[in-house]
Amino acid sequence: MPRNLTFNIFRYNPQDPASVPHMDTFVLGETDSMTLFIALGRIREEQDPSLQFDFCCRAGVCGSCAMVINGRPGLACNTKVKDLPAEITLLPLPFFKLVGDLSVDTGTWFREMYQRVESWVHTERVFDPAQEEERMDNDTANRIYELDRCIECGCCIAACGTARMRKDFLGAAGLNRLARFLIDPRDQRTEREYFELIGNDQGIFGCMGLLACEDVCPKRLPLQDQLGFLRRKMALSVLPWKK
Amino acid sequence: MTVDTTMHVSAPGRSAAYLDWLQMLTGAGLILFMWTHMILVSSVILGVGAMDALAYFFEATGMAQVGGPLIGLAFLVHFALAARKVPFRVEQQKIIWKHAKMLHHRDTWLWLVQAGSAMVILLMGSIHMWTVLTDLPISAAKSAARVQQWQWLLFYLVLLPLVELHVGIGFYRIGVKWGFIRRDNRAKGVKSEKVLTIVFVSIGALTLIRFLTLG
Amino acid sequence: MLTIYTDLLCIGAGLAGERAAVEVAGAGFNVICLSLVPARRSHSVAAQGGMQAALGNAAMGEGDSPDVHFADTVKGSDWGCDQEVARLFCDTAPIEMRRLASWGVPWNRVVAGVHTYYKGGKPFEKEERKEKEGLIHARAFGGTAKWRTCYASDGTGHSVLYTMDNRAAQLGVEVHDRVEAISLIHDGGNCLGAVCRCLRTGKLVTYISKATLIATGGFGRIYRASTNAIINDGGGLIAAIETGVVPLGNMEAIQFHPTGIVPTDILVTEGCRGDGGTLLDADEYRFMPDYEPEKAELASRDVVARRMTEHMLKGKGIKSPYGDHLWLDIRHLGEKHIRTKLREVDEICQSFLGIDPVHQLIPVRPTQHYSMGGVRTNKDGAAYGLSGLFGAGEASCWDMHGFNRLGGNSLAETVVAGGIVGGRIAEFLAGCELAIRTSVVRDRQALDEERVKNLVEKSGGSENVYQVREAMFDVLQEVAFIYRNGKDLESGVERLKEILARAKNVRLRSGGVGANPELALAIKLPGMVKLAQCVVYGALKRTESRGSHTREDYPERNDRDWLTRTLATWREGADVPTLDYEPATPSFELPPGDRGYGGGRIIPMDNPPAGPGADKE
Ligand SMILES: Cc1cc2nc3c(=O)[nH]c(=O)nc-3n(C[C@H](O)[C@H](O)[C@H](O)COP(=O)(O)OP(=O)(O)OC[C@H]3O[C@@H](n4cnc5c(N)ncnc54)[C@H](O)[C@@H]3O)c2cc1C
Ligand code: HEM
Ligand code: HEM
Ligand code: SF4
Ligand code: F3S
Ligand code: FES
Repeated sequence: MPRNLTFNIFRYNPQDPASVPHMDTFVLGETDSMTLFIALGRIREEQDPSLQFDFCCRAGVCGSCAMVINGRPGLACNTKVKDLPAEITLLPLPFFKLVGDLSVDTGTWFREMYQRVESWVHTERVFDPAQEEERMDNDTANRIYELDRCIECGCCIAACGTARMRKDFLGAAGLNRLARFLIDPRDQRTEREYFELIGNDQGIFGCMGLLACEDVCPKRLPLQDQLGFLRRKMALSVLPWKK
Repeated sequence: MTVDTTMHVSAPGRSAAYLDWLQMLTGAGLILFMWTHMILVSSVILGVGAMDALAYFFEATGMAQVGGPLIGLAFLVHFALAARKVPFRVEQQKIIWKHAKMLHHRDTWLWLVQAGSAMVILLMGSIHMWTVLTDLPISAAKSAARVQQWQWLLFYLVLLPLVELHVGIGFYRIGVKWGFIRRDNRAKGVKSEKVLTIVFVSIGALTLIRFLTLG
Repeated sequence: MLTIYTDLLCIGAGLAGERAAVEVAGAGFNVICLSLVPARRSHSVAAQGGMQAALGNAAMGEGDSPDVHFADTVKGSDWGCDQEVARLFCDTAPIEMRRLASWGVPWNRVVAGVHTYYKGGKPFEKEERKEKEGLIHARAFGGTAKWRTCYASDGTGHSVLYTMDNRAAQLGVEVHDRVEAISLIHDGGNCLGAVCRCLRTGKLVTYISKATLIATGGFGRIYRASTNAIINDGGGLIAAIETGVVPLGNMEAIQFHPTGIVPTDILVTEGCRGDGGTLLDADEYRFMPDYEPEKAELASRDVVARRMTEHMLKGKGIKSPYGDHLWLDIRHLGEKHIRTKLREVDEICQSFLGIDPVHQLIPVRPTQHYSMGGVRTNKDGAAYGLSGLFGAGEASCWDMHGFNRLGGNSLAETVVAGGIVGGRIAEFLAGCELAIRTSVVRDRQALDEERVKNLVEKSGGSENVYQVREAMFDVLQEVAFIYRNGKDLESGVERLKEILARAKNVRLRSGGVGANPELALAIKLPGMVKLAQCVVYGALKRTESRGSHTREDYPERNDRDWLTRTLATWREGADVPTLDYEPATPSFELPPGDRGYGGGRIIPMDNPPAGPGADKE
C-alpha cells in the first residue's frame, strides 16, 4: 500500500524582500525506489517551481545535496523515502550561508579552507616530462585515497557543535584534508609547518571530540581516527625533547 | 626596551598545544584524585576504623594538608581551561541547544551534560572542599554527622551523580580526543564509560547509606 | 550591470576547464573559471573507471605504446576521428598521467607478484614484474588491446579533479561558482566574453575577456534518461550555437550505455556483464542469446543497448512509474563475488534502490552516456567561426572520438586537451590586446536583460516549462535514441520545430525572483531544443551507420560518402540548423578498415589512402 508522504520544507528566499523564513508542507504519493532526489524534483515540477535545492550528480559522489533530513545532515540523493517515516522534515544545512530554501553555499567555505590548510602538494621538485614517474608504495596510495574521498558535502561541519559555536573552526573536513597531505610522501612540508596551520584552537585543539562528524559523514571517512591521530601528532610535536 | 614588530602578525605560538595538554592532564589528574577519594570515603563501608585509619594516614603524612589545596588548584586550572570551550554567551548557548535538539546525537548531548555538570561541580565542589578542609581532621563520625543532616544528604545526592557523569564522560572524551578510542573500539569505549559511571555512582550511594546508618 | 575583466574566461571548472586554466595561469595570465556548482562538484568527479594512457607498466599492458593506443582509438571512433588529434592525444597522455602523479593524484601502483583477476565469473592469474613495482598501474577497459586504464581505486575522476582544483587554488585561479554563462559576447569575428547569470542572486553579470574557453562538459540532459549529472544540459554549447557563426560538430554522435539503473539512471558498470551477469525481460527470460547467439550480453555497448531497446519495443519490458525497463541479474555470481569484486554495484543498489543484488534483480535500461559532438575546434582547440573562442573536454569536438569514444579516453582527453589547448591559449594571449566596441557589449547585455525581464514579468506566454521539456525528452527518446530511421527522424524534426516555438513561449508559474530554478530552465530551454534539433536533424541527414549512430534504413558504414564530420550552425531566425560537412581527418595514419568487432557492412572509399607500410612496396 503506497503511503502519502508529508514533506515539511524550510522556505526562505533572501533575494525576495517579501519572503520570511517559514515551513511549507507538500504531500506526495510514494513510488517504488523513491529517493529524496525524485521526491523534491516532483515537488518542484508539479507543485512549486520556485523551490530551491541543489542536486548535481544525484549519485552520492559530488556532495551537492546535503541537507538536514529529519534532524540529521545527510545526502538527499541517496536517502530513500522507504527508510523514513511518512512525515519528513527538510532543513538547509546550518553553518553555511543560505542561498535559498534548501540550498546553501558550501563552495565559498571550502575554498577558504583550501587556502587555510594550503591544500596542495608542497614540493621543490620540478616536473620533468621525460622522466619516469616517482615510485610509490601501493598501500601508501590507498591510504591517501582513503582520506582523499571526502566529497566536501559539509555534513561534518554542519553537525559539529564546535563549528556551530565558533565559525573559525576548521572542522573535520578541513583537518582531514591536512591529514591527507601529511601522510603523502610527495608533500615536503615539515611537522612544524603543519603545526603552524592547525596547531591552534581554530584547528585540531578546537575539536572537542563530539564525533557528530564521524557519525554523519556519508562517505564514512575515518574522521575520528584522523582527528585523534592529528591531535597526538601535533601535541607531541611541541614537547621540549622533540626538537 | 624592545619593540615587538611582529605584534600584529601574531606569530604562530605553541600555547594552544600546551594548554590542551594541561586541560587533559588536569582532567586526568582530577579523575585519579576522584578515584583515590572514592577509596578513602567508601572505606567506611568496610568499617569506621578503616576510614579513620586511611584519613589518619593521609593527615599524618601531610597529604591532606598539601594535597587538598593542590587539588583545589588543579580544580581551578581545569576549570579555567575547560571554560574556554563552554558557551557562556547567550547567542552561543542558543545555537548549541538548538543544535543538540536538532541532531539528537548521543555524543553531542554527552558534551552538554559534561559542560552542564561542570558548572554545578564548580559550585558544589568548592563548597564541599571548603567545608571538609576547614574542618580537619577527617573522621567517619564527622562525615556521618554531616550526611545525616538532610541538607547535606541532598547536596551529595546531587553532586555524586553529576561528578561521576562528568568523570565518566571526561574519561571517554580523553580517549576519543587523543585517539585511544578509535572507530574500531568505540563501542567498547562507550561501554566502559557507562560501566565506570554506574559502578562509581553505586559505590558512592552505598557509602552514603553507610554514613546514614552509622551512628 | 557588474562587469568583470580577465585574460581568460574559462566557462566550466571541470577537468578540462581547470587543466587549461592551470596552464594559462602558470604562464602568468589572469584566469577566471565559471561553474554552475563549486568546481569540485563538476561532473568529472563522477567518473570512476579511469583514464587511458599507454604507460605499459601493468603485466597485462606489456608491449603497449601510443601506437597501439592510437589504433584502438581510431577503430573505436569507427574512423570518424581526426587522426592528427588522436595521435597528439595518445602521445601526450602518458606524460599527463605522470604530471598528475607529481601534483598529487594517488594512482594505484604496481604490486609485484601473482594476482587473481576475474573474467566471465572465473578467476585467472597474472604476474606483475618486480622492476615495475611502484609505477602507475592500469586496469582493463572495453575496446582496448591492452590494460591501459590508469586508476585511483574507484574514484579516479574524483581524485584527479580534486588534485586539479588544488593546483588551481595554488596558482590563484579564481573560480566563480554558481555562475551560469547564458550567452557569448561577440562582434561576428571575435569573441569578447560572456553574459552570465548569478545563481545566488539571479542578477546578470558581464565578463569581458581576451580569450574565452568553453569547457562545459556533456549535454546528456537533453535526454530524459542520462548517466550525466543533472547540470549537464549543454549551456556552453547553447551559447556557442546562439552566436550563429560557431558550428557544433557531430551532434548526432551520442553514446548510450546498456545499464543505467531505473529510476535515477545511475551507471552500473559493464563489469557486471563482464563477470557473467545476464539480462532478463518481463518474464524473467534471458533474451540476449536469441539476438546475439555468440556474444549474448557481452556484445559491444551499442549492440547490447540496441537489442534491449528492440526487446522493450516488443512489449517485453517491465512497466514502472518511471517507464519500461529490463532486469540485470547477477544473483548467480554469489554473495562473495558481489560484495567484493562488484562492491560499487552492490553499494549503488543498496543506497539508491534499496535492493540487495545478491537476492534481487536490478532494474536497468539503456541510457544516454556521452556526447562525442560539441563545439568544433581545430587541433589547437580554437573554435571555428570566432577568434578568441576555444573549446576543450566533452563540450568540444576536438575530435579524437569520432562516432564512438572508448571508455577511459574521455577523462584522459580532458587533461590532455586541457593542457594542450591551455598552452595555445597562452600563446594567443601573449601580445593580444582587445579592441572592444562597447555597443557590442551593451547590445548583448540588453538582449539578455530583455529575455529575463519578459519571463519574470510574464509578458505573453502560456507554456509550462517542464511540460515543454518533457515534450523534447519524448522526441529524443523516441527518434534519436539508439536505433534511428528516416521516417521517425523526419517526424522528430517537425515536432522539435513546434517545441522550439513553445519553448520561446514559456510562462513562469513562480515569481522568478532571485536564484529561481524555474527561470534558469526557462532561459536555456530554447537553446536545449536547438541542441536536440541539431542531434535529430544531423541524424536524419547522415544516411549511414557509424559507431554509435545506427540507422535501421542505412545499416552499412559508408566510407564513400560519409567519412565526414557534420558541422551544424544555427542561422538567426532559422528553425533547423544549417549543416555543412568536412573530411573526418586531414590525413590518414590508419586507413579505414574493419574494427574487428561489431560486424556490419562497409561501403569503401572510392580512392582509399595508402595503408601503413604501403610505401615499402
Ligand atoms: C557516470 C559517468 C562515468 C564516467 N566514467 C568515465 C571513466 O571512467 N573514464 C572516462 O574516461 N570517462 C568517463 N566518463 C566521461 C567523463 O567523465 C567526462 O567526459 C568528463 O569528465 C568531462 O569533463 P569536462 O571537464 O569536459 O566537463 P565537466 O566535468 O562536466 O565540467 C563541466 C563544467 O562546466 C560547468 N558549466 C556547465 N555549463 C555551464 C554554464 N552554462 N556556465 C558556466 N559553467 C557551466 C560546470 O559547472 C562544470 O564545472 C564518465 C561519465 C559519466 C557520466
Ligand atoms: C573533580 C572534578 C573534575 C574532574 C574529575 C574533571 C574531569 C574532566 C576530564 C577528564 C575532562 C576531559 C578532559 C579533556 O577533554 O581534555 C573534563 C573536561 C571538561 N571539564 Fe572537567 N573535571 C572536573 C571538574 C570540572 C569543573 C569544576 C569544571 C568547570 C567548569 C569542568 C569543566 C569541564 C569541561 C567544560 C570539559 C570539556 C572540555 C572539552 O571538551 O574540551 N570540569 N573534565
Ligand atoms: C581534597 C579535597 C577533598 C576532600 C578532602 C574530600 C573529602 C571528602 C569526605 C571526607 C567526604 C565524606 C563526606 C563528608 O565528610 O562530607 C567526601 C564526600 C564526597 N566528596 Fe569529597 N573531598 C574532596 C574533594 C572533592 C571534590 C573535588 C569533589 C567533586 C567535585 C568531591 C565530591 C564528593 C562527593 C560526591 C562525596 C559524596 C561521596 C560518596 O557518596 O561517595 N570531593 N569528600
Ligand atoms: S568529511 Fe565526510 S561529511 Fe565531511 S565534507 Fe567530507 S564527505 Fe562530507
Ligand atoms: S563533531 Fe566536531 S568537535 Fe571534533 S570530533 Fe567532530 S570535529
Ligand atoms: S547530488 Fe551529488 S551527492 Fe547528492
